[in-house]
Amino acid sequence: MSHMANPLATPDQLFQRRSFGSLPIEFQDTVFFATQCLTQAAGLLLQLPQSVTAQANVLLARYWLVESMMSHEFGDVSAAIVYLTAKLSPHPRSPRDLANVYAYLLSPSTSLFHPPTAPPPPNNPSIYYLSEPAYQTFHTRLLALEAHILYTLSFNTHVALPHPLAITYLQALEFLGTQKEKIGKRAVAYLNTALLSPQMLYLTSQPNALAVAAVYNAARDVGAKMPECEWWEVFDVDREELGFLVVGMRSVEGWGAKIRGDLKGMMMGVGRGMVTRGHVEGELGRRGVKVGNGADVVDAEEEVARRMDEKMAEMEAGV
Amino acid sequence: MASKAKSRWADDEADAALEAQLKKEKEEKKRLKAEKARRLEAEKQAREAAAAAAQQEGDGANGPPAKRRKVSPERETAQAAGGSDGSANAPKLLRFDGGAFGKSRSVENYDKLNDIEEGAYGWVSRAKEAATGKVVALKRLKIDPKDRGGLPVTGLREIQILKDCDHRNVVKLREVVVGDDTSKIENIFLVLEFLEHDLKSILEDMPEPFLASEVKTLLQQLASGVAYLHDNWILHRDLKTSNLLLNNRGQLKIADFGMARYVGDPPPRQLTQLVVTLWYRAPELLLGAARYGASIDMWSVGCIFGELLTREPLLQGRNEVDELTKIFELCGVPTDESWPGFRRLPNARTLRLPPSSGGKTASGSVIRAKFPLLTAAGVGLLNGLLALDPDKRPTAKEMLAHEYFRQDPKPKQEAMFPTFPSKAGQERRRRRETPNAPARGQQAADFGAVDFSGIFAGREREERGGGFSLRMV
Repeated sequence: MSHMANPLATPDQLFQRRSFGSLPIEFQDTVFFATQCLTQAAGLLLQLPQSVTAQANVLLARYWLVESMMSHEFGDVSAAIVYLTAKLSPHPRSPRDLANVYAYLLSPSTSLFHPPTAPPPPNNPSIYYLSEPAYQTFHTRLLALEAHILYTLSFNTHVALPHPLAITYLQALEFLGTQKEKIGKRAVAYLNTALLSPQMLYLTSQPNALAVAAVYNAARDVGAKMPECEWWEVFDVDREELGFLVVGMRSVEGWGAKIRGDLKGMMMGVGRGMVTRGHVEGELGRRGVKVGNGADVVDAEEEVARRMDEKMAEMEAGV
Repeated sequence: MASKAKSRWADDEADAALEAQLKKEKEEKKRLKAEKARRLEAEKQAREAAAAAAQQEGDGANGPPAKRRKVSPERETAQAAGGSDGSANAPKLLRFDGGAFGKSRSVENYDKLNDIEEGAYGWVSRAKEAATGKVVALKRLKIDPKDRGGLPVTGLREIQILKDCDHRNVVKLREVVVGDDTSKIENIFLVLEFLEHDLKSILEDMPEPFLASEVKTLLQQLASGVAYLHDNWILHRDLKTSNLLLNNRGQLKIADFGMARYVGDPPPRQLTQLVVTLWYRAPELLLGAARYGASIDMWSVGCIFGELLTREPLLQGRNEVDELTKIFELCGVPTDESWPGFRRLPNARTLRLPPSSGGKTASGSVIRAKFPLLTAAGVGLLNGLLALDPDKRPTAKEMLAHEYFRQDPKPKQEAMFPTFPSKAGQERRRRRETPNAPARGQQAADFGAVDFSGIFAGREREERGGGFSLRMV
């Protein structure tokens, strides 16, 4: 059953991240969304199949649920995850390819995170030219992070994707009497969009539930007539979970638009390119929240320890 | 609802009458009980309400992430309450459990006892988990810090595959632990279940070969493990006696998945031919096939079968060409009838084989003669496993259903299996002379023009079978 089941986040992990993460929640969400988009873009440029890139997205989400976001540069984490996932797939990519792709995507020349209405940024190859020392340091960081990510996930790289299930379910439902392609594409689009969701739907639901929710949404979008009975129970999904996922999947689009706005603010006029730790720290500084001192980063554990110390001091003062 | 279910059985009047009476008595008792139960129920409800309130409070403090989680316990209690008054329409849904994820533990949780062996892919030592006292095998992943490709993909595949496997004849991976310094991951250990022996060292040390019934037990377990792997789309690609572990309860487990990988159907187009230790390597691999399937594992199973019978590796070639020569000597020379299309394999084009029309006996299989003590069914199975044409080899499932396992002597019960003095327990296992599986990145053998036409030249002088050799076909 391994192709039907994923390891899921525990409520404790979700709670820890939300409450004790080193970043405020809206920052976490912004960085999460931006990095997942970056990963998708890298997958496209590396000509990886979406099945590989999607696995990378899921692993990235799991990684950040265990490890603090600010402990490594976001772009590096994305690159290392893509490198690792591709290595384990039938489509390995060389560190050189990754270095080139990420140098471009992280440069201001990329149209990623660029408003589609604005004119495309000037293409200036000299900005994303990769010098040999730059490549070497990137390569070293990549390998160190690869090992660190594996350690953080206790070497469990298993990801079961819902995409094939969604198609199988559609077949079982005889495509609800609509055009196969139209409804199939729509369902897959919902699943791919859900990868970017800050609700981390892939970490809270099993693939069968995600697949059913995508089918449901797709059917509603194309105006297909669904069976009158509670057909989702055939695929072992209960109504409540389905409802949650349906809303979750539908909200990503509007939410993404808002995040793009936030990103702009956070980047303070730079307005394009990928968000970095520097940007986040800068923005936090402007808001008067301090994350460590300079390059040093407070990690989640230290933060917890500090709070506990404070509480202890309070209690003692009270006594 | 209960009475309805019962009435199915009460199909004559006497039964019905008896039941009615019993029911009456029961109801009497029930009424008394109900008084008591009602009081208890009230108490319970009060307690539950308090608990629910506490739960709600706790969840409230959890904030947004708990939002989704909160519903499940509530629903459960609602269902439990509803269940008693017969809401049979609550659906039975299958729940998938994929476990959770989190950081690796440290190797410091284990105390090393002694080294077992050092292979091409890492060191193995015996260790004890400090907390539980359980003895495990620690396999250290060999990492070359100079390798700019990062962690070896073979090691990662081994971990991934073993994590997905759960079968009694496949070694269990308990967890993966890392060295103490987690800022730089250099030491990675696979924590595997510990088994006392490997089949190779037992075969080397035993004075008498395995009994026919024991061979069957081992072979059956091997086949069932391989069947499980193939069912789950895994090719082991390095089956050999030193990779088969045996515990003191006669249980065999397949280990060392350093060469294993997932495949699909149809198999991927470009697979490396540099797999499987030479002595267990199938002829299509030696002939350079890039597209192969589960049948290469079945060939290895055939080689292991032969080894179990004689205690000696069956086909000990010195190099690829020699290995192929030995295969053709044992199984006969391939012809277009016995292996259609073998000429199209990369290394077969330049092959010069003895003319098949010349000596009929010279090009046939001599397996029958080599194993005079094996029953006809046993020879049939071995012949099938060592069929030159991969498509003619039985699958692991077909093998399990083979006549050979049903014939007397029946496979010996595992519990009745003899025990052997443990090697791995105390001393270092002997460094074995078996060649290792090929390393990644090596050049695949390119034969050029090889002349096999002389391999049967001296055949007349060969010894033919054992003392009472049967008539050869």
